[in-house]
Amino acid sequence: MITEDFYRDYQSRLLVGDRTGCTARVNSLLESGIQIRDLYIHLFQRSLYEVGQLWEFNKISVATEHLCTSITESLISLTYPYMFSAPHTGKSAVITCTPGEYHQIGARMVADYFEMSGWDGYFLGANTPLTELIRFIGEKKPDVVAISMSVAFSLSSLSGLIREVRRQYPGLAIILGGQGLKWTDHVIFEGVPNVHVVMTLDELEQNFMKPSARVA
Amino acid sequence: MSPELQNILLRYLADDSSVLCLVFTREGKITYSNVYAETLTGLKLEGLGIEEIFLYLGPVPDAAGYLEHPDEKVLINIKTASGMPGTFYFRFYPFQGSVLGLGEADTTEMAQLQNNLLLLNQELNNLSRELQKKNAELTRLNDLKNQFLGIAAHDLRNPLGSIMGFSEILAEDLGKTLNADQQDMLRIIHSSSEFMLHLLNQLLDIAQIESGRLVLEKQNTDLSALLSKNIELNKVLASRKNIAIDLVPGMHRPELYIDPVKIEQVLSNLISNAIKYSKPGTVIRVELSLSNGKAVVCVRDQGPGIPEEETSRLFSSYYTTSVKSTGGEKSTGLGLAISKNIVQGHGGEIWVESRVGEGSAFSFSLPLEP
Repeated sequence: MITEDFYRDYQSRLLVGDRTGCTARVNSLLESGIQIRDLYIHLFQRSLYEVGQLWEFNKISVATEHLCTSITESLISLTYPYMFSAPHTGKSAVITCTPGEYHQIGARMVADYFEMSGWDGYFLGANTPLTELIRFIGEKKPDVVAISMSVAFSLSSLSGLIREVRRQYPGLAIILGGQGLKWTDHVIFEGVPNVHVVMTLDELEQNFMKPSARVA
Repeated sequence: MSPELQNILLRYLADDSSVLCLVFTREGKITYSNVYAETLTGLKLEGLGIEEIFLYLGPVPDAAGYLEHPDEKVLINIKTASGMPGTFYFRFYPFQGSVLGLGEADTTEMAQLQNNLLLLNQELNNLSRELQKKNAELTRLNDLKNQFLGIAAHDLRNPLGSIMGFSEILAEDLGKTLNADQQDMLRIIHSSSEFMLHLLNQLLDIAQIESGRLVLEKQNTDLSALLSKNIELNKVLASRKNIAIDLVPGMHRPELYIDPVKIEQVLSNLISNAIKYSKPGTVIRVELSLSNGKAVVCVRDQGPGIPEEETSRLFSSYYTTSVKSTGGEKSTGLGLAISKNIVQGHGGEIWVESRVGEGSAFSFSLPLEP
């Protein structure tokens, strides 16, 4: 349903900040009955990865990157009337970002994926204080906690967060994801029990949300 | 500095930099502007007055005043081509009898603004997600409630039917052999189970309505005849309290396309309410008329009336008024809500006019054309 031409048209509008044009295109896909998963992977994720690469290679400014992210976050909200009506499995996840980071869109998409699979996906936005996260986990008693790291510089913050969550909730499954982990040696997490590194939404769905998944 | 370097820097300032460069006379007329100034403002600036681009809420200061504190940073807001004002920090210098102004945007401030906007946008989107999630949860809970109501009501009807039926049979067969107290007990068993059955039927109706499963089986119906029939049935109930019911027919159109069973349910509800709240010896008037292309039925009583602050909530589910019935009759709080849904399902409206001490008039309209 998302042809290459469609994608290129959408991406070019996103890069110039054409919110109206992007909204119209996403609405047309939703009205035609596109699977939300397809929208997330083949439009939102793909375009944001491309925006991230353009920024990394100094092809676009920080301001443009922020604009693209903001527009995409607004577009994701258009999917919510279609998303929250999935029958619930009784499982829940708390999804958050590494302390000090402001990029939350990846984590938000993960939270939405949990919802699409019938989980309760509780999304705590960027820069949630650690004490608030610990309290919230105690309140909701989720089956997993998912933490996103967008930039590799946040690794020590992430390690601190994992240690504290593990200390307070020894048996809780922790999922790590985000572009920042692309450049990180995952071996540092291997000694920590029940911590799983997941690099794509597909992998998340296959390993954690299918009924046969062994975790949670 | 070598002349060559000077030339490079000057060319850069003139053509490529994001420093706003203006020269204007002491009277405020612009005689030079660099490429950035013209791109930013969207104007050909030479010949214009500085008041065309410097934003002031008050009177425009004398241009020569800018030289009072040369080389000091001055905040000036500039009218830009986008319509949004841009904040620049200028330094002003005397230049060949005119004023040279060099202005730069505060990048720290802009970065902060950008960040704040990003955070605000994130917060807004997060709140939107939260709201949608809670809405979905509420819808799920409401569906569960309706399912439960439907099952409970359905499963309780049969046993209640048995209680009612057998208590009637016992009263008929054993009536003469029972003492007054025992006869009373049987009457109470019967009337209590009748009330419970009525409540269960209403709960089933509400569950159907809220699940969107209210089905209207419309057919051509003589509304006058329906009214007459319903009034005759309710006269039995009314006569127990010595209350009269009068029909005032004012419409001669024979038929409407309506669900007769459901409309009769509305009529029964309004008339039985009127009986409930009327004193013995009073009259209930049922009026049928034509108004603005609609048939209007009005049930008017001489009861105590309803306080004004309650009238807006009367048609809500489970709402019971503070007004007491005159014969100790109970209310489920569902009848008017169900009536409202039935009438609205027909494309009509339902409303009340009431004053304390002057009685109440409950009316509903039905469209003449389907």
